[in-house]
Amino acid sequence: MNRREFLEAGGGILFAGVSCAYAGHLLTSYATKTTGEDSPAFGKKMGMVIDVNKCRKGCTECLKACKAENNIAQPGDSRWDVHWIRKVTLKDKNNTNVPEKPVVLLCNHCDKPPCAQVCPVQATFKRPDGIVIVDYHRCIGCRYCVIACPYNARYFNFKEAEVWSNKGYPRRTHGVAEACNLCAHRLEIGDVPACVVACQNIGAGAITVGDMNDPESDISKLIANNSTKRIRMDLGTEPKVHYIGL
Amino acid sequence: MFKKLQQYDKGTRYVALVVLVILIPLAYSIVKPIFAHNDPITEVFLEKPDPSHTSCVRDTTYMRLHHWELLTKIREEVVRYGNRTIEIRDGKKEAIGLNDCRNCHTSRERFCDRCHNAVNLYPECWGCHYYP
Ligand code: HEC
Ligand code: HEC
Ligand code: HEC
Repeated sequence: MNRREFLEAGGGILFAGVSCAYAGHLLTSYATKTTGEDSPAFGKKMGMVIDVNKCRKGCTECLKACKAENNIAQPGDSRWDVHWIRKVTLKDKNNTNVPEKPVVLLCNHCDKPPCAQVCPVQATFKRPDGIVIVDYHRCIGCRYCVIACPYNARYFNFKEAEVWSNKGYPRRTHGVAEACNLCAHRLEIGDVPACVVACQNIGAGAITVGDMNDPESDISKLIANNSTKRIRMDLGTEPKVHYIGL
Repeated sequence: MFKKLQQYDKGTRYVALVVLVILIPLAYSIVKPIFAHNDPITEVFLEKPDPSHTSCVRDTTYMRLHHWELLTKIREEVVRYGNRTIEIRDGKKEAIGLNDCRNCHTSRERFCDRCHNAVNLYPECWGCHYYP
């Protein structure tokens, strides 16, 4: 190796080393690494039990409470209205003697959520405690999740909510998809979801939310002591909303 | 002076003209502040929080230079992991969110926006997050 080659090789190695060190600095200096490792959400499995027998016909308290709590957009047009929780009536078409049943439908917080699988930006995802939630900061509004959901539980925001009824919780602007988040913001501070409170207030107490991994919780006992059904189990989405008396 | 300039050739005269054109505004900008009378600043640029609050959630320098990183960190912890009590400083766990900023920095218009407008930055948070 002559002197010129030596200098060229040495310079090249030096340049490569310095650029690697600089790139490493750039990559690691991003100070906002999040792991959530000490989050209280780990090890939980949140679910819901709805007792259809206790649900009252014509009552919409839970729907109203949900809308007020979560600032849900209600432009008053059925094309644009968002519903995190809906109420339908079940009828037996062949046998009219069977009484009609009011049933509330909402996001089933599937264990294998199709909406999260199709999300191209991982805005919809399953949290460590099993709640299927939308990170609105990432949502790009592609609406794949709206199409993927077999329960029709997801809605797109065509208009933003005009009334800001709960100032402690953000509303959603035009361009994001959303669904029930099991009032995660309330559960985290030790409250129960707004629909549960509303249902207890009218004395029906048809909705129970809790940790299904904890055998002592109300919800685990309800599931153990009653025969429960889940909607569309044949799809393999493993929903976590259980219905008693469906 | 023109007689004198005529002694030189055309090229040099053009150069002299260009130099003059540059020098005059430069001199003006230097001289102007000397003669300008000092207007007292009637309104502060950033509205300081109530004096009962001694410090921000972290030290002022960090907040000035990194508050967006802090907000992103809180956001990721809250939304993606459901972790509302976050270590913000001194190993203490605090439940700080965007809602807490407005307890001390009461006006977005006179605090956040004023600074952001100065750097031509318009974060799109306020369509969803309540901050009057
Ligand atoms: C499409 C609506 C939307 C937009 C736009 C939005 N957010 Fe959020 N943000 C939310 C929702 C919903 C939550 C969840 C709140 C909760 O669970 O309490 C949230 C939570 C947060 C949190 C943690 C909880 C809290 O209250 O502090 C932070 C921090 C945050 N957002 C920061 C931002 C910032 C910064 C921006 C602007 C760059 C922004 N967000 C824009 C909807 C939005
Ligand atoms: C306990 C009250 C309090 C809370 C809560 C608070 N701040 Fe502050 N903040 C202050 C005070 C006091 C100062 C001024 C400190 C000084 O003048 O040295 C300040 C300064 C700042 C500055 C620097 C301003 C400058 O002079 O350059 C920024 C940026 C800032 N805060 C952002 C935030 C954000 C973002 C939040 C929400 C996470 C927040 N603050 C929450 C009290 C608070
Ligand atoms: C001292 C001036 C100053 C003040 C006061 C200030 N900011 Fe900022 N903020 C900045 C600057 C500069 C940036 C741009 C950072 C960058 O992108 O490099 C920024 C960026 C941000 C971002 C990220 C925007 C994006 O698009 O990534 C958010 C969110 C934000 N600020 C929120 C706030 C909030 C909330 C307050 C009031 C409580 C506030 N800021 C007060 C100077 C300020």
